Amino acid sequence: MTFFTIIVRGLWRRPVRTGLTLVGISIGIAAVVALVGISRGFEQSWAMGMKARGTDIVVSNMGSALAPKPFSSSVRDHIASIPGVAATCAIFVDLTSIEDSSMMVVSAREWGGFSWKNLKLLSGRMPNDSMESAVVLGQNAAEVLKKKIGDTVQIEAKELSVVGIVDGGALVENGSVILSLPLYQEISGNEGKINIIDIRATPGMTAEEVKSLCAKINTLIPEARAMPAGDNVGNSQAYRFISAMSWGTSLLAVIVGVLGVMNTMLMTVFERKQEICILLAIGWKRSRIIRMVLLESAMLGFLGGIGGVIIGTVGVKILETLPAIHGLLEPDLSARLMVISVAIAVIVGVLSGLYPAWRSSRLTPSLAMQG
Amino acid sequence: MMRSTPTSDSFSKDCIFEVKGLKKEYDDGKVQALRGVDFRIHQGEFVAITGPSGCGKTTLLQMLGALDFPSSGNLLYRGNSLPGLPDPAAYRAREIGIIFQAFHLLPTFTAKENVQLPMFETDRPRPDRQSRAIELLKLVGLEHRLDHFPAKLSGGERQRVAIARSLANGPSVLLADEPTGNLDSENAHHILDLIIRLSTEQNMTLVLITHDPSIARRASRTIEMMDGHIVSDQQAAPI
Repeated sequence: MTFFTIIVRGLWRRPVRTGLTLVGISIGIAAVVALVGISRGFEQSWAMGMKARGTDIVVSNMGSALAPKPFSSSVRDHIASIPGVAATCAIFVDLTSIEDSSMMVVSAREWGGFSWKNLKLLSGRMPNDSMESAVVLGQNAAEVLKKKIGDTVQIEAKELSVVGIVDGGALVENGSVILSLPLYQEISGNEGKINIIDIRATPGMTAEEVKSLCAKINTLIPEARAMPAGDNVGNSQAYRFISAMSWGTSLLAVIVGVLGVMNTMLMTVFERKQEICILLAIGWKRSRIIRMVLLESAMLGFLGGIGGVIIGTVGVKILETLPAIHGLLEPDLSARLMVISVAIAVIVGVLSGLYPAWRSSRLTPSLAMQG
Repeated sequence: MMRSTPTSDSFSKDCIFEVKGLKKEYDDGKVQALRGVDFRIHQGEFVAITGPSGCGKTTLLQMLGALDFPSSGNLLYRGNSLPGLPDPAAYRAREIGIIFQAFHLLPTFTAKENVQLPMFETDRPRPDRQSRAIELLKLVGLEHRLDHFPAKLSGGERQRVAIARSLANGPSVLLADEPTGNLDSENAHHILDLIIRLSTEQNMTLVLITHDPSIARRASRTIEMMDGHIVSDQQAAPI
């Protein structure tokens, strides 16, 4: 028999109570995995999308909305003339409901701009000119919208033909409805407006030089903010809000888990009061009793963490298949997130066990003689 | 089985416990469990402590086992003050074996595991703990019950496990709080024989609380208590 055996027996003593506590912690940790995984995945998906388009710098005005605020397309001409800028592509990105799908990315790109170049045709063709009433669909978007070549897609009040299905090399690209910028500006009543400018820096620029270029653009263009690709989503107010909400909700769920573990461990200490006194009477040090309670508590946290990671991962995988968000989510279910989640659970376990452990250390061995 | 009373020469050098003016009060002095107790106990003695309920017997045993500490007075173990011990848990683990009236085995551990519990506070490695527990359970006649949980053992068997547990770390002193109080007369007889035999074989000092005069008569010395005082302290006549 090892000390670990003693810890396990302590938990196994009341299997139903231990099980319910584990379910409580697991749900809290599952919330951490799911919410944080989704919000991080959202950020990463956008970053991957930028990378797929070959974008080094993104100029946008990421206010409090999920889609950037529109600004004048003349900004693109100012930026194009700045030294260090090799190429630009004006874009209008919108998140909107299309037919039965509650939220789709609509990506309207400057006709002939470099952001079209990464799209690999899987079937059909690209639009013939900037004003052809046609769209190409990312492969996930086609699946979600259940569209094939020759079908039509209604955007705003306009019926547009699906002329091609493309692989954009990233989830965001593959989940997008892609069309030419002038066409969308006309359909949506945003003539002369764009909300993103993708920039390719001069080849060979270091990350520091790209940052300097961003700073230079920002001094010249007050309408929008330039950031290295990938940083812009993470720095947007909307993303920060989503991220804060994810952590906030997770924190609440974790607090419920803490209370559950603390309640269980307190009950354990009260219930095993005489046993603890007997252990003290036969020579156990108080420090060993404290260690026993804390390890039981940490073990609850660890097992709850493992359970939470499993529930959270399965839950996110189920979420991904839901029609409303299918093709839009690429959750970050990395090993790092799993390890962080289990570590949070273990810390929760230990913190929850502190008070019960302190209570157990206050017991006196003479109580063993009573009863 | 009677033991010889220590000679006057061995009195000082073999003195295990020396108690002088020992008092224990509870509730800010409203309850006086011990009101000035004096005695000495020597190596190898079998001392029975008797007296009516509430006379202070169990409180005295608690003091000897460092389970609680006196309000005033001197309490020495081998010349060292028990209340002044830097690590009372180590004293309880290594010097003292305690046998409770209600056995007090931990229900989620087998007989073998219960006996190993006190050994966690020693440096004994795991295989040694296990073999020592098996050896002790054989000593008390429970080699066929090693992996039984307390709920599957009879009262007599549980007390045997408790005795084996009390011997786990080879203590110098056995403190027994009415060890046969929860047993039928036949089992009580066997358990008492076992405790006396083992303590004699291993030259341990045995301090036993009892209400039963027939048990007290088997001790080498009987201390009778009343209202927190010692009212008599008699050596048994040698056979």
